[in-house]
Amino acid sequence: MEAASAPTGGERSLLERSPLARLPDRALKYGLTALAALILVLIVYFFVRLFGEARPAFAAAGIFNFVFDNNWDPSAGQFGALPLLIGTLITSALALVMGVPIAVATAVYLTELCPRRLLAPLTVLVELLAAVPSVVYGLWGIFFLAPKLQPAEQWVADRLSFIPFIGGGIVTIPNCFIAGLILAIMILPIVSAIAREVMSTVPSDHKEAALGLGATRWEMIRIAIIPYCRPGIVGGAMLGLGRAIGETIAVTIVIGDSPTLAHHLFGQGYTLAAVLANEFGEATGLHRSALFACALVLFVLTLLVNAIARLFVLRAARGRSRGGASEGPADLGIAAAVGA
Amino acid sequence: MSEDRLARFAVSPRRRRADRLARGVLLAATLVALVPLVLIVYYLLVKGLGAWSWNFFTTDPTGSTFFGGSSIGGIKSAILGTLEMVALASAIAIPIGVGVALWLVEYGQPAWFANTVRFFVDVLTGVPSIVFGLFIYIALIIGTGSTYAGYKGSLALSLLMLPVVIRSAEVILQLVPGALRESALALGAPRWKVIFRVVLPTALTGMLTGILLAVARAAGETAPLLFTAGHTNQTSLNLGSFMNSLPYQIYNDVTSPTTEVVNRAWGAALTLVAMILILNLIARLVARRSRLA
Amino acid sequence: MINLQKTAATALGVAALSLLVAACGSSNSTTTGTTTSSSATISGAGSTFAAPVYEQWGASGSPSGVTVNYQAVGSGAGITALEGKTVDFGASDPPLKSEEETALGKVGEPVQIPMFLGAITVSYNLPGVKSGLKLDGTTIADIYLGNIKTWNDPAIAALNPGVTLPSTPITVVHRSDSSGTSAGFTGFLAAVDPEWLKKVGPGSKEPAWPTGTGAKGNAGVAGAVEQTTGSIGYVEQAYALQHNFTYASVKNKAGNFVAPTLASTSAAAEGIEVPANLGFKIKNPSSPQAYPITSQTFVMVYKDMCKAGVPGGKTAAEAVVKFLNYGLGAGQSILAKADYAVLPAAILAKSKEAVGGLECEGSPLS
Repeated sequence: MEAASAPTGGERSLLERSPLARLPDRALKYGLTALAALILVLIVYFFVRLFGEARPAFAAAGIFNFVFDNNWDPSAGQFGALPLLIGTLITSALALVMGVPIAVATAVYLTELCPRRLLAPLTVLVELLAAVPSVVYGLWGIFFLAPKLQPAEQWVADRLSFIPFIGGGIVTIPNCFIAGLILAIMILPIVSAIAREVMSTVPSDHKEAALGLGATRWEMIRIAIIPYCRPGIVGGAMLGLGRAIGETIAVTIVIGDSPTLAHHLFGQGYTLAAVLANEFGEATGLHRSALFACALVLFVLTLLVNAIARLFVLRAARGRSRGGASEGPADLGIAAAVGA
Repeated sequence: MSEDRLARFAVSPRRRRADRLARGVLLAATLVALVPLVLIVYYLLVKGLGAWSWNFFTTDPTGSTFFGGSSIGGIKSAILGTLEMVALASAIAIPIGVGVALWLVEYGQPAWFANTVRFFVDVLTGVPSIVFGLFIYIALIIGTGSTYAGYKGSLALSLLMLPVVIRSAEVILQLVPGALRESALALGAPRWKVIFRVVLPTALTGMLTGILLAVARAAGETAPLLFTAGHTNQTSLNLGSFMNSLPYQIYNDVTSPTTEVVNRAWGAALTLVAMILILNLIARLVARRSRLA
Repeated sequence: MINLQKTAATALGVAALSLLVAACGSSNSTTTGTTTSSSATISGAGSTFAAPVYEQWGASGSPSGVTVNYQAVGSGAGITALEGKTVDFGASDPPLKSEEETALGKVGEPVQIPMFLGAITVSYNLPGVKSGLKLDGTTIADIYLGNIKTWNDPAIAALNPGVTLPSTPITVVHRSDSSGTSAGFTGFLAAVDPEWLKKVGPGSKEPAWPTGTGAKGNAGVAGAVEQTTGSIGYVEQAYALQHNFTYASVKNKAGNFVAPTLASTSAAAEGIEVPANLGFKIKNPSSPQAYPITSQTFVMVYKDMCKAGVPGGKTAAEAVVKFLNYGLGAGQSILAKADYAVLPAAILAKSKEAVGGLECEGSPLS
């Protein structure tokens, strides 16, 4: 309900605004809605166009076969994308597992524990990681990081040879682990930045309530900040995951690009994005369609993961709105302030 | 109160240890996050600083590698090209992205429509950067009889930036307390004023972070430009013609057999990182001044 | 303070706006096809292998008088770009396939012009073993198939009496991206080794490598070979020569072990049968001085560029002819400096003839 800005005179009630004054509101609403609709149309056109390019590849082998056949051999006309899909999943999972905890920990440290003087420089430094072009990450990875880490990787592979997938294989210099590590470094700035922004909006009465009840600093973080920030952190992680799934150039340089099912962590692999970058320049006909089809598989993958993440966040939010445990500290804090 | 009753409120040694341990872990994690940065910047400095010179920044690459010693040229056209293309891409992606995020958070009706938009934006976050370039390539270049152009590269870059801007802006806007909006409305402000005078300024610093990250990403990506912006060595101010860019120049040069050209590539990489750092600092300075107001 | 924010925002806005206005409004010499006081500009796309030469010939200030905007997107993409009339000329290492010729033919009659040659070296990193290790096609194929695993394998030792070979395991390196260099290399292996032909197939830009590590790009393979002791990889001649790699002398069809020098590369195209459309492919050449793993490269244009509708129009058509005449004439001296090999005189003459036949709306351009 809109309140009065000034008496307008005439037949209108004092509280009502003139139609002219209501115009900007209407214009904004319809403008923004039109914008959203436009974006939707653009994105749908984007997918439709790409699907058109990819259709011959799906038609040739069938969608199921394309995605789950373990045979990527363009020179023989075989396009089964399973090794690429598995490679994408492995590297993205590695990137998330290694990158998100560090990013969140960094965000917590910067918002809660960091001395005031160091805050600005440290923040800039973390964000500087985003300024490095992806081709530089790839080159640094293959020429500096991978050779340096190889002895350590070999040691791990030897010691843990009883664990399948992690141990017991020959360590090549470009491998899945390095790719995952580079991706983790690349997603660090965005996950950390969003987590930081979210954490800085936690109402101070949440925090003070927890501290007032005798929590230590760490307990306050654990009780008051993290649950409040969880949806935002998940949002940031999803953006990071998107980056990890779709990163092209850096991954092609460090993963070894071998279209065989990644046998173990320290061996070569391939991802859907990398194959696009590697083969598009020379691809024609069915091969080209197959590459577009790989892009589509990537979209579906991103969609699935994002959907699961949103569901998870929705459930947590619903739990909170029903007055669940995470509401506790604020309420108790107020009660303590008032009653004690 | 007596001493014994007070003692009940003391923090147990176990909890104190946990607190100290956690603080240590968090500090260690932050340092771990900074280690790759230090290594990369050091690597870039070692490899790239040697290429920096006045000529480096003020002459175009000549395209030749041996028409007489030092005439491989500099990277002027690449710097200007990146500035132009990223500026255009940002001019497109930021208003549209923030607008869509605003709509999602402030209006978002009907719900099925909002969810569809969210759905598609989500999928867009995972698209490889090269696919945006390929999309522009098949939509605007092949078959339309027109050729590569700088603005087409910008379009590909803006598509790259859009989901990041939308998603991060949405996250931040959702955190603006409803109480703020309600009090502004209760004071008689029309909806549009609430959005532009209350919501956006509150969310500005937060969104700025996401926006800067999107800009940094756009400035550093080669793949979207490979098939869209064309390549030229000369400085071009015309976005409708072929345009050079720093990532393209780096990508091209770094694979050359001539050592000087490879050095130029690393010098260009260092330049790109420095440019983004400067942009970051300027933007933060402006934002901080506005917050103090 | 609000004023400062507003001022800053306005300043940034004005700056951005003026940049955009300048960008959209200005006309300058980089628009394809326009002529400036010094040189015309043409656009090309395709082969990464040939890129350094075309960039050199088309550099600003080059004696050719033509500036080239070249995108090294790959031979396949270059042909697609030419087909889409996105560029004035295309560049490809392999000659046109029949489907490609038909597709281009729909736009305008395509002309393939052989430009120069380059060898693919078999480079290795073996401390103590100098350049010139003798290898033959079958042995190389066996290494790349994974049959030969160490450097002191009897097969290698038999070819190199008197050379002390270490027992280091062989690390095989190959290209991970689609490339004409891979096609040239595997084409050679398929021609000389029946087991390779059976297991992996004929020469291909992205073969199913039975073993080995993938590295991206020529520089990637070179870097990998440099980093890993005991590694072997196929590296373009220009790269290997400029970086002083150690490379093998490969046995050619005549039975001689030949090192990849510029002379032996040129010899590879001697006496080769050139079809009417000039689209020849070097496969296990027969000349006794020939280095067997050699690749050719072409420039593809339309016979009547103006009628076909290239983006640069008549100005570009004239400039393309000027560029090609320079490249096939005075520009040939650049090739040796860039570590590429010249075509044999007979083929060069045919190329010049083909350029002479280019026209614009029916009237000859040169």
